[in-house]
Amino acid sequence: MRVTFGSIFRNGIVDINRAAEDLALRQREVSSGRRLHLPSDDPSAMAAAMGERAEMSVLDQFTQTTDSVDSRLSVVDSVYTDVINRLTNAQTRAAGGRSTILTQTQRDALAGEIRGAASAILTAVNTSYRGMYLFSGGQSLTPPYAAGPPISGYQGDARVQSVDVARDRAVQVSFDGGAILQGSAPADVFQTLEALATAVQTGNMAGIDQGLVSVGQAFDRVTNAQTQIGIEMARLPEDRSRLVTQRQAANARRSSVEDANLAESIAAMTQADAAHRAALGALATVGRQSLMDYLK
Amino acid sequence: MSGLFGMLSTTARSLESQRYGLDAAGQNIANINTPGYSRRVVDFGAIPPTSERLNAGNGVEVLGVRRLRDRFFDRRLFQENPAQHRENALAEALGVVEASLGSPDATLNARLNQFFDGFSGLAQAPTSSTARADVLAKGQALATEIRATDGRFQQAQLDADRRVRASVDDINSLANRLASLNERIANADQSGTMTLRDEQNEVVKELSSFLDIETIDLPNGTVQVSFGRGKPLVIADVAYAVTVQNEPTTGFAHLYSGVTDVTAGINSGKVAGLIAARDTNIPSYRAQLDTLAYTVVQQVNTLHDAGFTLGGVDAPPFFQPLAAVAGAASQIALDPTVAANANLIAAGSVAATPGDNGTARGLAALRDARVLSGNSATFTGFYTNIVYGVGQDRSSAVSEGQIRGEVVQQIENLRDSVSGVSLDEEAASMMRFQRAYEANARFFATVNDTLDVLMNLGR
Repeated sequence: MRVTFGSIFRNGIVDINRAAEDLALRQREVSSGRRLHLPSDDPSAMAAAMGERAEMSVLDQFTQTTDSVDSRLSVVDSVYTDVINRLTNAQTRAAGGRSTILTQTQRDALAGEIRGAASAILTAVNTSYRGMYLFSGGQSLTPPYAAGPPISGYQGDARVQSVDVARDRAVQVSFDGGAILQGSAPADVFQTLEALATAVQTGNMAGIDQGLVSVGQAFDRVTNAQTQIGIEMARLPEDRSRLVTQRQAANARRSSVEDANLAESIAAMTQADAAHRAALGALATVGRQSLMDYLK
Repeated sequence: MSGLFGMLSTTARSLESQRYGLDAAGQNIANINTPGYSRRVVDFGAIPPTSERLNAGNGVEVLGVRRLRDRFFDRRLFQENPAQHRENALAEALGVVEASLGSPDATLNARLNQFFDGFSGLAQAPTSSTARADVLAKGQALATEIRATDGRFQQAQLDADRRVRASVDDINSLANRLASLNERIANADQSGTMTLRDEQNEVVKELSSFLDIETIDLPNGTVQVSFGRGKPLVIADVAYAVTVQNEPTTGFAHLYSGVTDVTAGINSGKVAGLIAARDTNIPSYRAQLDTLAYTVVQQVNTLHDAGFTLGGVDAPPFFQPLAAVAGAASQIALDPTVAANANLIAAGSVAATPGDNGTARGLAALRDARVLSGNSATFTGFYTNIVYGVGQDRSSAVSEGQIRGEVVQQIENLRDSVSGVSLDEEAASMMRFQRAYEANARFFATVNDTLDVLMNLGR
């Protein structure tokens, strides 16, 4: 086949362009660290990478929720601890009130301490988190109990709320204060403590005994609730750890399709650079050679 | 032999012939970079002897000059060239669409994820004004991004349409030029049409980059060109203008030959690529985006309508309800009452229970709901499919364009192997004619010397 001036240069320029394009592509891979920049670079890989990014976004959201739930449950746990301490304190003071040698002043002091415990429990159970009362069920804008005297009845409802910390796991984050502080008992803990304080003050031994039993039942309900919180809180690090592992796996899958293998990319760039130089050199060399050079 | 004086005449003719050959080589070298130029070769012929005995001949004469051309390669080029340009035009148009998607992890996909994250945050704090403002902001961002993406798709469609219209102008200009060339070729002496026919060939090639054309070479050197299933474009010296009319529903350009809409008959060439992008590919992406937008609105509103505001009353729709799928992406917007008051966002599923987060949780869980593509795709999955489709279509067009480009390049190489100018060959021709000229000149001198001897015999 005749090789003509035009075809030599046309083919040479096509080859140079192709080599330059490849070099630019490799250079971009190396400088950005990414293999994919546009969907057409590798449509399937881009779709896979987008899927993994969406999954990572979901996992990030669950992780953030888990952290938030952890903080909230820590507050709930501290409330329960406080309530238990106050109930224990009230029990101790009431037990002391069973003595027959106490003066009225001493009885008044003990009754005052029991009422103080009730007041502290009220403060604890009216704790709010990010503007929401934790122990009002679904009525998170309403405090569970209003200060007295007398302290009100339960103002919340039984609609406890949960949030999702994983696709298949939700954690309760609002609580039914009425169920904890009263349960199936005829009186709530505040009424019980007030009756107990009155019994101690008046030296009503039967009333004290009855009050101690009721306080003991309240103690059990709060302890049980704290145990449940403890179980949930103990699971949260596992949940977080699982989410982190899942995210790492998703990120690894994303990286495997989206990120450049730098060693390979640098080698490919070097190769593309050599090919580009060769294409330039080849055309320059071929362009120089002509029979014209031999004409005298 | 016709005698010494006759020999001088013969040698003068030969010198003239070699000079002619040298001239042709010079012409070839001069036009080495002229697009479409066909190499010229001079045909020499020996002048036969006269009737006298012992006459070897009367030298050489130039029979003519030919342009070297293989019509087969030209025809193949006119067939392959449109396919390459169709794919390149399609790839360019889709490149605009692809660029308009932006970085896939930073635009619509990210907005969808952030939107559902917003409801997840609201589920954690249903009464929080910050969480509500966040949901509003993310809802606005999602609606804005969907509208913007659709707007960019539409812009790409309009760009393709503008390029179709510009291409029609180019086609008509080329057709007029070809008709003019046909006229000049038909009216000129055949020997004087070589340059015109080179130009004619280039014009036809250029036309073939816009349309898939049919050509017929006529004996008088003119070319008849038709397109779009036999519609005439150039016949003899008449160019039949391609006209543009706006399609009533879309307003896009349709191509007419006379009163016939030939748009559907254009299957290859740049125009076909642009029309494919404008009428097939981009509308398909827009339709999918409409489906995505409509389903987002429908699914979110269904849950939201069933929920309750912070004040505990029935919630209004979160997005403005849409009447139909078509055009949904361009119309998606937050309900104005919700946009003006974040407390109207439904977080709860129970009336008069401000701390309830049932609706917010349900809306956050929509992220994983398979509500598209026959309940097989999530929102982000569906959008990923759109991105995949754009990428795949462009990748195919680029790849096909490269393959077609290789074919065109090979055919051009084959064509050039016949018609192209080789510097080495022309250098050899120069040497050949120069040497022949020198030899003839020497022969002329020898005959002249011989005549001198003859003249001096009588002294």
